[in-house]
Amino acid sequence: MSQTLSRRSFAAVSTLGLGLPGLLGGCRGTTKAGSTTMIPGEQAPLADHLGWFSVDKPTIARVMTELTARGADAADLYFQYSRDNSITMEDGIISRASSSIDQGVGLRVVVGDQTGYAFTEDLSLEAMLAAARTAAGIAHSGAAHAPVEFKQRSRSTNFYTLSQPWAEVQTVQKLPRIEHLAALARKADPSIHKVTVSWADGEELVLIADMHGNVHTDVRPMTRLWCMLTAKKGDVTQSNSANLAGRHGFDWYTDERLEFLAKEAVSRTMVLFDAKRPPAGEMPVVLAAGASGILLHEAIGHGMEADFNRKNTSIYASMIGKKVAPDFVTIVDDATQAGERGALNVDDEGNPVEKTVLVDHGVMASYLHDSISAKHYKVKATGSGRRESFRHSPMPRMRSTYMENGPHTREEIIASVKKGIIAETFTNGQVQIGAGDFTFYIKNGWLIEDGKITAPIKDINIIGNGPEALRNVTMVANDCKLDFGGWTCGKDGQSVPVSQGLPTTLVSKMTVGGENV
Amino acid sequence: MSDLIQSARTAIDLAKKAGAQDAWAAVSRDRSVSLVYRDGKVEKVEESTSRGLGISLYVDGRYSSHSTTDLRPDRLAGFIKEAVALTRVLQPDPFRVIPDPALFKGRPTADLERVDPSVAKLTREQREAWCAEMDAKAHSDSRVISAESNLFSGESQGAAASSNGFDGTWDGSYVGYSCTATVREGEDKRPEGSAHAVGRFLAGLPEPAAVAALALKRTIDRLGSTKGPTVRTTMVVDPEAAVSLISRALSPLSAASIQQGRSYLAGKQGQKVFGDKLTITDDPLVPRGLSSRHFDGEGISAKRMPLIEAGVVRNYYVDTYYGKKLGMAPTTGSASNRVLALGNKSLAALIADVQDGIYVTSWLGGNSDATTGDFSLGLRGHQIKGGKIGAPIGEMNVTGNLAALFAKLALLGDDPYPYSSLRAPTLVFEDVQFSGT
Repeated sequence: MSQTLSRRSFAAVSTLGLGLPGLLGGCRGTTKAGSTTMIPGEQAPLADHLGWFSVDKPTIARVMTELTARGADAADLYFQYSRDNSITMEDGIISRASSSIDQGVGLRVVVGDQTGYAFTEDLSLEAMLAAARTAAGIAHSGAAHAPVEFKQRSRSTNFYTLSQPWAEVQTVQKLPRIEHLAALARKADPSIHKVTVSWADGEELVLIADMHGNVHTDVRPMTRLWCMLTAKKGDVTQSNSANLAGRHGFDWYTDERLEFLAKEAVSRTMVLFDAKRPPAGEMPVVLAAGASGILLHEAIGHGMEADFNRKNTSIYASMIGKKVAPDFVTIVDDATQAGERGALNVDDEGNPVEKTVLVDHGVMASYLHDSISAKHYKVKATGSGRRESFRHSPMPRMRSTYMENGPHTREEIIASVKKGIIAETFTNGQVQIGAGDFTFYIKNGWLIEDGKITAPIKDINIIGNGPEALRNVTMVANDCKLDFGGWTCGKDGQSVPVSQGLPTTLVSKMTVGGENV
Repeated sequence: MSDLIQSARTAIDLAKKAGAQDAWAAVSRDRSVSLVYRDGKVEKVEESTSRGLGISLYVDGRYSSHSTTDLRPDRLAGFIKEAVALTRVLQPDPFRVIPDPALFKGRPTADLERVDPSVAKLTREQREAWCAEMDAKAHSDSRVISAESNLFSGESQGAAASSNGFDGTWDGSYVGYSCTATVREGEDKRPEGSAHAVGRFLAGLPEPAAVAALALKRTIDRLGSTKGPTVRTTMVVDPEAAVSLISRALSPLSAASIQQGRSYLAGKQGQKVFGDKLTITDDPLVPRGLSSRHFDGEGISAKRMPLIEAGVVRNYYVDTYYGKKLGMAPTTGSASNRVLALGNKSLAALIADVQDGIYVTSWLGGNSDATTGDFSLGLRGHQIKGGKIGAPIGEMNVTGNLAALFAKLALLGDDPYPYSSLRAPTLVFEDVQFSGT
């Protein structure tokens, strides 16, 4: 996973924050849908959602019939319309903006654990039928599935309530916020000589129709604000950044939040002038509350995605029901954290979402399931089937991953460490699912000597082994929080937004990159 | 192809009609096919044709860029009109101009052999047969509990046009396969190893079974892996792992990084930063090269460019915009193929010379700071003992500074990695800090 500004495929490069009424940049109806505004998270009448894609129920039925003509255990159509905007301020001027529109449908047929997949950006009946025939190629025999009546499935919850959809926010409204943030950062310290602010917002409409006639719809907003700084002292240059991200609207960017972001970016950058590398080798690592949830994401989260276990390639493949950590360790993956990047109202297969307990008081409890793995394990799907876009078939993925509060305090934890480090901010991490080795890269942290924080550290990689690290969790504090910055998780070439969190946690031993001079 | 260039020109016309003084448009179409095979049967087949348009707008001294996959004529017209309106509310940028048409001149005409017509003709049966061969090879060792084989291929076509006279088209094909095998070790560990091969042409790729055999060897080699010691010693980096390490070292060569003060190579042009043995050329004209091209994304005609000569930084990647901010002439804004001057020894001979150290076969995570060059990377590999590759090691980090590391580049191999546009050989570095037990 990483925190870098992601640039996806050509088609999905960033994009139109127009907010000019009635134009296609906004989540507004096409001619077919009239002028209905799609409200994030809420469900409009099915005809309005279909209107977005200029399709109707008979068209969907016709395509589904073609898709299942050679038999299918499961089949679905995933329509998606995404609109993304970004604006950049650099060297004192708002110098560029970009926008993108990405629209298409992905068609999937599942037979046993075999998948046929095709997509098209061309939503004409002819193009969709051709794609359906391609996807159906996976099925060799089996009776054609009988046509069904398509009905919209309703739900009662909404985890991303915006007072105003992004489509209605004018670009000119965003510019003063961007300038304000840049000014706050610039005036914070005379040695700051470059300030880059990058604003991104967007929303996607999805419509999922399965072969049983269930239709699920969702409108998912997303926004992110980055503050990147370069500072100079003599002939030493340092740079660093901070960002705020979530499924929020324009009014989320209050003065207080902008001040917080500027302060974070400034302190993360200025501390680098005094930061050193810690000694190299094994030592206790204190994970600061918040972004350190990257430990869970890499050390256990990926290994608990059920596809790896179904294929017998995860180190956790035979650990359900086993004691893997002390009693005070409970780890969850939760789609219901409102406003988080990992929040979902419905997963990308149309399954209801939930808070899934991965480790319950130290005992391995459940994998993260999509429909295929749920069927394999004969359990209920956990609403973890996600995909990057209509170009990809879904698989089990994390949402918001965090550890529940434990019995200790941050002060107790730090005081208990004779010689070790605190990990505070991170840029990226990775894991080998089968061997269990995982890493994360610390951008900012602190050295602990004799129970006291003594000096800042920077730029070191941590490497450990998942099950071993879980066993070595010796203290967990009562200060759990989710990271305010945005994280993007990559798996098999697909990127999805996720969140992560942790209370202050002590892992008694991990291998710390460093330098012994 | 003519329909693509026509679409690009139409987009330019729409932009000018909407009030843009200048515009640059690119249109592309890609077909991709992937077949995944696992443990005796097909697991997933994906096949699609994709298209899209990107456009850059220059409006009253302001700039923006946009992309869309909705190419219906009425939608496209609305999209571009709206994009021009958006550009007008931004602030004027004196450094933003459309690329100078003088840079379009002298476009090379050599056949870069980017397209293998046989790739488009691959049948489903052929793909499945090759995957089955890989699968059988991977399962030839009874310790293997699962193996995944993948055959992927694609063809693309594109065209670009600008309001100041640029016109260009390109096409390309690629085909490759990969194999990953997993074995069981002890109660829970399932170490894996993988190998892949990719090229523009089918001819020249190894047999699928040879790729699977390498994946299997790499997997078996992991058995018994332990954490090595915390030590300063010699590091030998496998060509495949050398690709990302060199890429990391070179990424701060971009004019954007330099102008923004986020490059440890800023102000180093003409200076010796790296070891004598490091010579790297950006070469866009390699036949069948994965990043070969006649022109870059700004239409700048392709030519060979020395990046590093005997450790001296010669050129940056300078695009029109950041070049103007820095007062430097544009070279090219993006890397093509990067070719290293080679040594004359094989990996085995280098290992024999080194006697004792650590042989890195792959990285796990880690990162570097482009501003300072500080890096720290996770790794797996083997001990080097008595001039031979020894026991497998993992769960270790290597930490240092990229400039200091490459200053201590002692030797290069004669074995450039063929499946990347960055053709790195085996690298030998002296006095490197490892963290382990």
